[in-house]
Amino acid sequence: MKITSYFIIIIALLITPIATFGGQGGSSDPFSQTKFVPAISFVMDFSYLNRDLGDFGSMGFEMPGFLPAGHTSGPLLNGEKGFNFNYAELSLFATVDPYFDLFTSFHLGEDFFEVEEAYVTTRKFPHGFGLKMGKFLSSFGRFNAQHAHTWNFQELPLVFRVFFGEDGLNEKGFQLNWVAPTDFYLSLGVELFQGENSTSFGLDEAEILNEDNGSEFEIEGADGPGLFVVFAKTSADIGDLIFLGGVSYAEGETRSISENGGNVLSGRSKIYGFDITIKYLIDSYRYISLQTEYIDRQFEGKFYEAGNPEGSEFSRSQAGFYSELVYRMSKLWRSALRYDLLNRNNILINGSGTILPEDMNRYSFMIDYSPTEFSRIRLQYNNNRYLYLDGNLKNFSELNLQLNFSIGAHGAHPF
Amino acid sequence: MKRLKLTIIMIVLIIGVTSIVDAKLRVVVSYNYIADIVKRIGGDEVKVTPLSKGYKDPHFITPRPSFIAKMRKADLLIINGGQLEIGWIPPILKKANNPQINPGNKGFLDLFSFIEGIDVPKDISRAHGDVHPDGNPHFHLDPENILIVSRAIKDKLIELNLSKKEIFIKNYEEFSEMWKKKMADWRKLLEKFSGKNVVQYHKNFDYFLKRFNMKQLGTLEPVPGIPPSTKHVLEMIDIINNKGAEFIIHDVYHMKKPSQFVNRKTNVKLVVLPHDVGAVNEVTDIVSLFDEIIRRLLK
Repeated sequence: MKITSYFIIIIALLITPIATFGGQGGSSDPFSQTKFVPAISFVMDFSYLNRDLGDFGSMGFEMPGFLPAGHTSGPLLNGEKGFNFNYAELSLFATVDPYFDLFTSFHLGEDFFEVEEAYVTTRKFPHGFGLKMGKFLSSFGRFNAQHAHTWNFQELPLVFRVFFGEDGLNEKGFQLNWVAPTDFYLSLGVELFQGENSTSFGLDEAEILNEDNGSEFEIEGADGPGLFVVFAKTSADIGDLIFLGGVSYAEGETRSISENGGNVLSGRSKIYGFDITIKYLIDSYRYISLQTEYIDRQFEGKFYEAGNPEGSEFSRSQAGFYSELVYRMSKLWRSALRYDLLNRNNILINGSGTILPEDMNRYSFMIDYSPTEFSRIRLQYNNNRYLYLDGNLKNFSELNLQLNFSIGAHGAHPF
Repeated sequence: MKRLKLTIIMIVLIIGVTSIVDAKLRVVVSYNYIADIVKRIGGDEVKVTPLSKGYKDPHFITPRPSFIAKMRKADLLIINGGQLEIGWIPPILKKANNPQINPGNKGFLDLFSFIEGIDVPKDISRAHGDVHPDGNPHFHLDPENILIVSRAIKDKLIELNLSKKEIFIKNYEEFSEMWKKKMADWRKLLEKFSGKNVVQYHKNFDYFLKRFNMKQLGTLEPVPGIPPSTKHVLEMIDIINNKGAEFIIHDVYHMKKPSQFVNRKTNVKLVVLPHDVGAVNEVTDIVSLFDEIIRRLLK
């Protein structure tokens, strides 16, 4: 009798934990790891575009001195007239262990899945230092490190597009940053990157074939890491008036191969960036903000084309900026005005200059409505004066209705 | 070159010396009410820096770069918790490169973790607006909860600076004794509203209403964080006309129009109540916060 009752009690004790597990949410798996699911967020961007210009792809548009024909065959975002599925962004982030946090952001198109960012940051570095390692958006300037869904306009500023391409300066490498123990904000950082950005940098070797006589020659590649960036950012408040300023410098190897492989630029590029943001907070929801970034690119090197294995001395000095004024009128409504200008475009080949346009510009205006922090409807108008066809400026305008939605983990309110 | 070297050495020395001289515990807090409690318990042994201003919407504080500088030097970060700071603290905390004040470490204190949350949603979906999965985060408007969190703050300060234990305990005991007396006064003053119906704009004062036995008929926001729709406001007016209400409670940062409309249509008194220290001029500390709320209700 006694033994049987002990036996029953033991069996009951053994069963209880399993039974309780089964009762709670249907999982009877003692090895369940669902509690370790990282934070997940998903953003999607969809638009309707109208443009008073024919199909980008079939026509030989170029931005002389900046982007050759073929490179402008249509931007990644809002490429087509009519409906565009611009992108989806999937982010996963969590703490790895006591020493690291991991953040990933995947950029998804209708037929591509790419790693936009995947990096770890340190949790235990002392004295205000932080280390970031992996693939990530460089902290060069102000705009570059921001994700597309936090932009104030549908597309990147012109100067970023021509110097860093549609994806911005997004590289593999590491960043060491330091926050000074001062009363005002001061942060310094260095980044060492592979340097594969195809618009301003690049490491690849190239072969140029002379189709007339079949002779070919090789242009040496460069070893990675080929790019470094240094930056300093500082900020101060006067009541509800906030100033943020930064200076950045990027220098690296450049191997720029034209789309058809017919010519190659080989040398070094130096890029200087200056940014300033002034933001006035009117109340909890309303603000006015003015943001400007000026970027200057210098290149020294050689230009190779078929039949010229010695190469020509090539240098370019180019600069541009954008300036945007944002007014958040209420918790729900914002409007903004942006001016883009590429104001310097000097290219010297063997010491002699070519005549290139120096005032490629764009005016943009947008108004957006955000029912909540998680959804946004935006109407934007662009007046574009930067595309050339056979040496002639093609002025065109765009009207875009953009829808942006996010689900999952709460994103931070951007500054 | 020599001059540059000298300047760098000077800067390093100055930074080093100032950090040694300044031996006070540096406490950064998200909201002003927390700053006042820390000041009362920490006394001269702490230097408190609140990040937000009391008159702002606590859900939507702009994460300024200057907050990073403040967090960089902090020995302790105290947050309200309950996901009230989810939109603005995480990115600046990450950028501050200060491991000591990260969640889970010694220099981090989440006050909500000591509180039993009310209105914990069973169904967590953003279809219900700005939901807080752990419950309503505005717990500090229940004065009983102030006692709970001040005890937690006292314990944390002792943990970080054991040598000043007696001072912290003494300050805490003085504060809690004074606070209990004040609570008895407040309870007496609010007795006449016990059982009365109240309408709020946002679910800010739930803990306060619950503590003082006031019944909530609903909010003008159809769901938290979503501005009132005409349809919902008209429904609320119907409810008020049927059941009767003592107050329409409004905060200092939302537009008053919807509440004023309901006030005109129902003749129910509209009171604008401070939610934090600094929300209105009269509220300079945690005691005057409750004094002023009650003064405005009784007015």
